[in-house]
Amino acid sequence: MPQEQKPEPTATFKAKAGLPASPQPLEVHPPANDIKPWDVDSIPQFEHMGRPRPRIEAPLKVTGKAKYTYDVKLPGMLHGRMIGASVPAAEILEIDTSKAEALPGVKAVWTTDSRVVRFAGQDVAAVAAVSPDVARDAARLVEVRYKERPFTHELREAMKPDAPRVFNLDRLPAGRDMGRNGNVAGPRTSRANRGDVEKGFAEAEVVHEGTYYCPVHTHAPLETHGVVAAWEGEQLTIYASTQAIFAVREGVAEALGVDRKNVRVICEHMGGGFGSKLGPSATGSAFSVVACRLARQAGAPVKLMLDRHQEHLCTGNAPSALMKVKLGAKKDGTLTAAHFQSWGSAGVAGGAGTSGPAGALHGKNPNFKAEEWDVFTNAGPAAPLRAPGHSQGAFGIESAMDELADKLGIDPIELRKKNEASPVRMAQYDLGAKAIGWERRNKKAGDMSTGAWGASLPPARSKKVRGLGMANGNWYVFASENSNAQVRVHRDGSVEVITGCQDIGTGYRTAMMVVAAEELGIEPGDVTLRLGDTQFPEGPGSGGSVTTNSMAPVVRLAANQARAKILELAAPLVGAKPEELDAAHGKIFLASDASKAKSVTFKQAAAKMSGESIDCLAKRPKQYETYRGDLAGTQFAEVEVDVETGVVRIVKMVSVNDCGLPVNPLTTQNQVLGAMIQGASWALFENRVLDRNVGTMLNPNLEWYKILAPADMFEAESILTPQANLGNNTSTAGIGEPPIVPTLAVIANAVFNAIGARVRELPITPDRVLLALSEAGRA
Amino acid sequence: MARKTPPPDDQGREQPSFSRRSFLKSAGVSAAATTIVGAGERAEAAPSVLGPDAVTLNLKVNGAARAVSVEPRVTLLDALRNELDLTGAKPVCERGGCGACTVLVDGAPIASCLMLAADAEGHEITTVEGIGTPEKMSPLQAAFVEKDALQCGFCTPGFVVAGTALLAKNPRPSLDEIKAGLAGNLCRCGTYGRIFEAVQAASRATRR
Repeated sequence: MPQEQKPEPTATFKAKAGLPASPQPLEVHPPANDIKPWDVDSIPQFEHMGRPRPRIEAPLKVTGKAKYTYDVKLPGMLHGRMIGASVPAAEILEIDTSKAEALPGVKAVWTTDSRVVRFAGQDVAAVAAVSPDVARDAARLVEVRYKERPFTHELREAMKPDAPRVFNLDRLPAGRDMGRNGNVAGPRTSRANRGDVEKGFAEAEVVHEGTYYCPVHTHAPLETHGVVAAWEGEQLTIYASTQAIFAVREGVAEALGVDRKNVRVICEHMGGGFGSKLGPSATGSAFSVVACRLARQAGAPVKLMLDRHQEHLCTGNAPSALMKVKLGAKKDGTLTAAHFQSWGSAGVAGGAGTSGPAGALHGKNPNFKAEEWDVFTNAGPAAPLRAPGHSQGAFGIESAMDELADKLGIDPIELRKKNEASPVRMAQYDLGAKAIGWERRNKKAGDMSTGAWGASLPPARSKKVRGLGMANGNWYVFASENSNAQVRVHRDGSVEVITGCQDIGTGYRTAMMVVAAEELGIEPGDVTLRLGDTQFPEGPGSGGSVTTNSMAPVVRLAANQARAKILELAAPLVGAKPEELDAAHGKIFLASDASKAKSVTFKQAAAKMSGESIDCLAKRPKQYETYRGDLAGTQFAEVEVDVETGVVRIVKMVSVNDCGLPVNPLTTQNQVLGAMIQGASWALFENRVLDRNVGTMLNPNLEWYKILAPADMFEAESILTPQANLGNNTSTAGIGEPPIVPTLAVIANAVFNAIGARVRELPITPDRVLLALSEAGRA
Repeated sequence: MARKTPPPDDQGREQPSFSRRSFLKSAGVSAAATTIVGAGERAEAAPSVLGPDAVTLNLKVNGAARAVSVEPRVTLLDALRNELDLTGAKPVCERGGCGACTVLVDGAPIASCLMLAADAEGHEITTVEGIGTPEKMSPLQAAFVEKDALQCGFCTPGFVVAGTALLAKNPRPSLDEIKAGLAGNLCRCGTYGRIFEAVQAASRATRR
């Protein structure tokens, strides 16, 4: 029987939204149990919010005392090892583990039930033995016989009509409504599609068309994927290197057919994931489940960490992208239409779309159409990688915008401003331009005499040239309502914040200490975070930049409830009503009395509680309508290019970002700088290379899969534009992903400004620079 | 298994043919340059071949004598982590390409994934745990905390050890010298700039 949905009761608060320099009155309607959000007027009142503060776990990390999954050692623990397929496409005829089982020290063996191999590195077998070395010996003794099949290793190859099929058409992992042709599924259209692009192009005075290509990147977190699995009877404990302990519990319990109540997952510190550690194991492996099976079979705990080679093959990657972009504009830069087409390969998986930035940026453009196709290849399945699809997509659309600006003879910033719909980004452009010294840029690309370089002009005989570039990025405010937190005040006044949500190295636990302390009126150092354990209240997986945005409001809400109880206890001691009291720096006092003459300490009030502790459990209120529903960012770069060798060196980058009200700028800006640096690494160096002859990865390590290293470093600057977004009671938002969205395009645009030739295929390696110069007749 | 006889060396002497075990015995980091010439003459005076079973090694780690019983093929990294519970040095690339397993051997930074534990006998090993503790951090460790020169922290011990070696050799490094001194270490979170700042701050702190 259909039931009429009752609207949830809401509260109404009047608050000031937006940038402190230009606050706007806004009425917000949070759920009735929520509290008035921190807004522009809160900023001067903050005792702890927004102040730089070293992260609490740093002393453990700099002294080697922080225990990661890789560091866990249990009594009698065995060492597991996965064995992956050595070929990219095959039928498995036989897996012979007899020699491995006969090796002294081998305690358990697992083999796959699957008989079809679709990528090199796919799970085939596993062993557990008394030492890592014996496990490696045993792995070498596992013999697998394959009937090999033809394979296709790369996006553009796989799109050819005669390419070997990765799947039979009816088995393609694609939506039912999507078209299917060979290895290609699509198109998928975008929710951002609007207007009539044909009409828009007819109205255009200038049209630019370009094709851009991004290769596959791997996540390459320094701590490889892995778990330690230990059974005690029916009770299973898993130490996991994960971004989502609750997803590990769910996935492993389901695969093993055991009750979730019997599975406990722990992650105290985690050595990097970047999106690849959001599932129970990895997108291309079931190692967590295998480790649990090996442990049960052996009757001993098993540590199973992938090695670096396996990490590159089966734990995810960022899809490649081939993007065709067509832009139409009036001569003054007003966009009349944008058509964005993208073909991407997520290996054996789907979901390789890249149209997010094209749909979200340049919001004044009335006519937009995006189409995306997934192309299947015999390669490991992709996984979300830091703003999935968005860096690639921004490389396409924002390179095209830069080309359009050049064609129109308009400053790239002016072109963006002309089509900008975000007031936040409007305020960001000039901040970034000033920080990078935008006025120096070459007015004519590739001609430094048209720039105002002053002292930074390389010597006349030098073969080095400089250029400046900029590009925009977008991201979204995601929040998980499955976010719970408990605040416990003990009778001695000590305070715990208890929540399962893991800290993946973002500074999350320090941020929650700050939020709780701000609300309770105590010092952040007086709050202890208990986290990373499924025994605690559920928190979200740390992906999509949701963690702070999901958890800060619920920690504040639980702390607010505890605060009310403490103020009740304090009231008779101060001789006032609870609602007349305020709390700060561990003291509770009459709010009206600036001298704080009559006060008690937080500890004195807590000592009056009747039991051992006050426990307040809260669930995250729904995200409410916000001042801005997206996260604006813009980025700038200065590069130096040696036109003789083709080597690109980044001189400086500036990122300007919105993350609502930053809780702890020290860690927030670290995220921004890190994202920008990772993006620079993708732009200049990273490229997963599969051998076209045998379909295995040619660079499955950290020397040939080159990531940006100290010698490649540049001056990096982060500028935050704090604003009260009023999307939740703390006005916080995530920041892990947004700053990597523009980076690929920024660097490509700066290279163009330096050399006057466009590199449309990443990474921007010396050969591609020299080729671009040659094609532009500039070599 | 057929074994090829190696060609004579440039002085016409017959070369010793290396079994895996004798190679293990002699191919330490410090001995690598002299092995080929010296191995034949040293054969009689050399200790008996190690392994393949576990052997007892006497290591000196963070100033203390530590005996471990490991197969001779075990790396210094695995011995430190699995036998001595010193898990500060991290296994990341397992081929000397990332610096996360850096420890000091007689004061010099080396990749402990590339050194056999057996070859570490007779040398002073210092791990990140020997540089400072959470309660008593070294100036460089304190500077890492202060500058927030870390995120996930998995590369951090390697950077701290490499940075410590750099400052010991060059107490006032320029930015380029810092980059060169840390060139063998990778950070995937992208904290390099903060790490350089931390090294500079520690350099200033120890100068006072």
